[in-house]
Amino acid sequence: MLSVLIWIPIISAAIIGFWPGNAIEPSRARLVSLTVAGIVLLWNVFILLKFDISYPGMQFQEYLPWNETLGLNYQLGVDGLSILMLVLNSFLTWIAIYSSNKNTERPRLYYSMVLLVSGGVAGAFLAENLLLFFLFYELELIPFYLLICIWGGEKRAYAGIKFLIYTAVSGALILATFLGMVWLTGSHSFAFDAVSTQNISAGMQLLLLGGIVLGFGIKMPLVPFHTWLPDAYVEVSAPIAILLGGVLAKLGTYGLLRFGLGMFPQAWSVIAPSLAIWGAINAIYGAVIAIAQKDIKRMVAYSSIGHMGYILLAAAASTPLSLVGAVAQMFSHGIILAILFHLVGIVEAKVGTRELDKLSGLMSPIRGLPLISALLVLSGMASAGIPGLTGFVAEFISFQGSFSTFPIPTLLCVVASGLTAVYFVILLNRTCFGRLQNNLAYYPKVVWAEKMPALILASLIIFLGVQPTWLVRWSETTTTSMVAVIPTPEKTVISEIALK
Amino acid sequence: MDFANIASQLNAGTILPEGIVIITLLGVLIVDLILGRTSSRWIGYLAIAGLLTAIVALYFQWDATNPIGFTGSFNGDDLSIIFRGIIALSAVVTILMSIRYIEQSGTALAEFIAILMTATLGGMFLSGASELVMIFISLETLSISSYLLTGYTKRDPRSNEAALKYLLIGASSTAVFLYGVSLLYGLSGGQTELSAIANGIAAANVSQSLGLVIALVFVIAGIGFKISAAPFHQWTPDVYEGAPTPVIAFLSVGSKAAGFALAIRLLTVVFPLVADEWRFVFTALAVLSMVLGNVVALAQTSMKRMLAYSSIAQAGFVMIGLIAGTDAGYSSMIFYLLVYLFMNLCGFTCVILFSLRTGTDQIAEYSGLYQKDPLLTLGLSISLLSLGGIPPLAGFFGKIYLFWAGWQAGLYWLVLLGLVTSVVSIYYYIRVVKMMVVKEPQEMSDVVKNYPQISWNLPGFRPLQVGLIATLIATTVAGILSNPLFTLANNSVANTPILQAEKIASTQASAIITEQAE
Repeated sequence: MLSVLIWIPIISAAIIGFWPGNAIEPSRARLVSLTVAGIVLLWNVFILLKFDISYPGMQFQEYLPWNETLGLNYQLGVDGLSILMLVLNSFLTWIAIYSSNKNTERPRLYYSMVLLVSGGVAGAFLAENLLLFFLFYELELIPFYLLICIWGGEKRAYAGIKFLIYTAVSGALILATFLGMVWLTGSHSFAFDAVSTQNISAGMQLLLLGGIVLGFGIKMPLVPFHTWLPDAYVEVSAPIAILLGGVLAKLGTYGLLRFGLGMFPQAWSVIAPSLAIWGAINAIYGAVIAIAQKDIKRMVAYSSIGHMGYILLAAAASTPLSLVGAVAQMFSHGIILAILFHLVGIVEAKVGTRELDKLSGLMSPIRGLPLISALLVLSGMASAGIPGLTGFVAEFISFQGSFSTFPIPTLLCVVASGLTAVYFVILLNRTCFGRLQNNLAYYPKVVWAEKMPALILASLIIFLGVQPTWLVRWSETTTTSMVAVIPTPEKTVISEIALK
Repeated sequence: MDFANIASQLNAGTILPEGIVIITLLGVLIVDLILGRTSSRWIGYLAIAGLLTAIVALYFQWDATNPIGFTGSFNGDDLSIIFRGIIALSAVVTILMSIRYIEQSGTALAEFIAILMTATLGGMFLSGASELVMIFISLETLSISSYLLTGYTKRDPRSNEAALKYLLIGASSTAVFLYGVSLLYGLSGGQTELSAIANGIAAANVSQSLGLVIALVFVIAGIGFKISAAPFHQWTPDVYEGAPTPVIAFLSVGSKAAGFALAIRLLTVVFPLVADEWRFVFTALAVLSMVLGNVVALAQTSMKRMLAYSSIAQAGFVMIGLIAGTDAGYSSMIFYLLVYLFMNLCGFTCVILFSLRTGTDQIAEYSGLYQKDPLLTLGLSISLLSLGGIPPLAGFFGKIYLFWAGWQAGLYWLVLLGLVTSVVSIYYYIRVVKMMVVKEPQEMSDVVKNYPQISWNLPGFRPLQVGLIATLIATTVAGILSNPLFTLANNSVANTPILQAEKIASTQASAIITEQAE
């Protein structure tokens, strides 16, 4: 059942890429991949409906022996932590393909790379074996490099190689940690349930957890390791930015939750205070740097860094509530970032610039881009955490859950959330409001097909904002059971320290 | 001594595969003498058929009950079979590549094939040789043929220079090796057979004496030269650049595999008493090779030179398995060498194909190739990415197994270094992929703009295509469907008495050392 999510995209990627001759015409490539992504999305929704939310463990498990010598088995499963990420992945893949330019150069390579990434990400979320996870994790590397380098902006070569090196280093760290985890536990298999870190000495646990935090922190990204992100996000085309920010960044946070918190509960509670502070720094840093930006895409990129800080804070607090908040934040950040990038892409395509100094008056009903601006306002509000939209729900739950454990970092994050509102107001003020410049404003019409993804995303954002149960119900049991493993006495000690 | 007894001690059946190679080799030479140049149309296929028959013969020798032949000077155990298979297979692919290349250079194909098969023969005998003289002779057979092959395109000054360099360095390293070997003969009280030497040294109570250490170092100098480990690597970039490309394809796989086969046999059987010492030396070699190979490869502009440094680095990775010295370590080496065969030969086939069509092998000239030659682009990209260890290609699984085995044996720093240098290696491998795939049509190099119409029907192109597609498929799926190869590698180690005996010997050795300490 779950294999379908991985193999349909990958096999169709191979077919689109390698089909000899012109049996798949380049112009059809988009249609074919859209169909494939649609099928996968429907299948994913079907799995979501069949998902039993009262069961905390892995569901729909699949098992195939693969390589006994390496302890690598084809072992899949889905639980509350990953189900939303899977849906997000297939949903955003569909959106990304839909919003791709119809006249993309070299369409067959483009769509096959997008589908390959999608299948690989699904595999990473589904894997129940460390090595299998790593395999799918590294599988993103080359397709994304090509997507940045071929269809990117002006400085794409630089951005691409930077992305490649950062991600490869992150992969090396993760692999080293995985090898260490498995060998120190004396297990002969990389399966999740075969690896229990309980009997590793505390020092080793901290070392391994450090590797996990660094490895996934590069991907998330956390502050000193984030420098690849603005370059990569800015240089890629809008649909790829949706995938990169919406889906790939979630691999980092998912890895942190699954392998950091899930596999090292004791060591996690030791380093949690510093992680909380790190999260707060991330949030403030992202917001402050975003205020200084003159390019909308760059602003959105830094906003993404800031939002990752909330997730880290919530994960560090690791109360049942804050973890639910973290998962909700991951999902809502995914859809909000997707709509923002999509709208920015449309603005860039129609107006021809992304500079805050050159844009103005897009709200103008007749000659501007009124609907796009309205949606931009809505999504900026969602990102800043205005009630009634999904961003608020996620942030509020995370802060509510974290406050009891780490009050000061939480307050700092609330401040950062305020700063988010500041730069989004700057962004909206400079783009949507004001007057159109008469000599420049002859923008092409935005056709309905281009607005569709944004409308779908916007209605989803509003729906989840007013009906948040649908956002949080999937992960509740799983996260509660994850928290139950964390030793409690240390937690009280830590909260005392934090209070002082 | 009656005749039957001698026959059973000779046990000549163990070298049946080599016998087939010899017959084919002579056949190639004689046919060439009789028919002259006209035979060059099919003489390559004759050689390939012979080598494939030899591989089939190897298959039937798997798990032979009595592998020791020629009164102990040749050991046809499973370990040797797998290495002989690798060498023969690399010769097969090399011939597929060279049919067109050698024809185009205006030299005789049959002579080339004959020398190549002699080198193969030397390598195959080296894999199973278990006696000092036998080792030396087969090593020399391999080396001398390699010198000849390197300078085969004798009108090209670069080829001549490469041959001279290779000859001078090779001959001196063999001399050093010979000195080490003669020391072993003396230390052990006049034994030449490997296990007898080990016993002789143990009995003579010279364990860890200065003489043994010097012998070890001299032997390692010879081995390090063959596998192009870092301080003994200086010939590699120059030879790779100057020699005919099919020759370096063979040197990078066949000759290297022979070197590793020799390393395993010699070090585990003869030097269990100084196991810590040779592990230490090889750790140093591995560190140097990984760092130097990968870092210097970043700065190369010629494809062949880049692959030369890459092969130095890859040798460093393989040495991790040798240093680990466990069953998993040895079998990870074997597995890596197997997949290295596919990826490197696939890469070199593409390089040959490109230089046959355009006459150059500068990396910058590859830019924009995807439009003109998609198959070549695909083959070279896949093989280079596999060399970089990108999943789900064969090289990824090879590296994972090496690192896994290294980690199990406690070589944490070495594995971490391997991981870091792999990241570095991805950078220079992907540079080529970027040239070919990412560049826009207007950024195409002049060479690619004038790229000839692709035609596989020219003489000698069909075998190149077959070789390319076969190695490409193998590189792609050998990782995903790696179980048979894993089983093969594991079994060959588990069924090899010398590697199993080594553990006992090393425990005995440590017992002796502790006794002496007391």
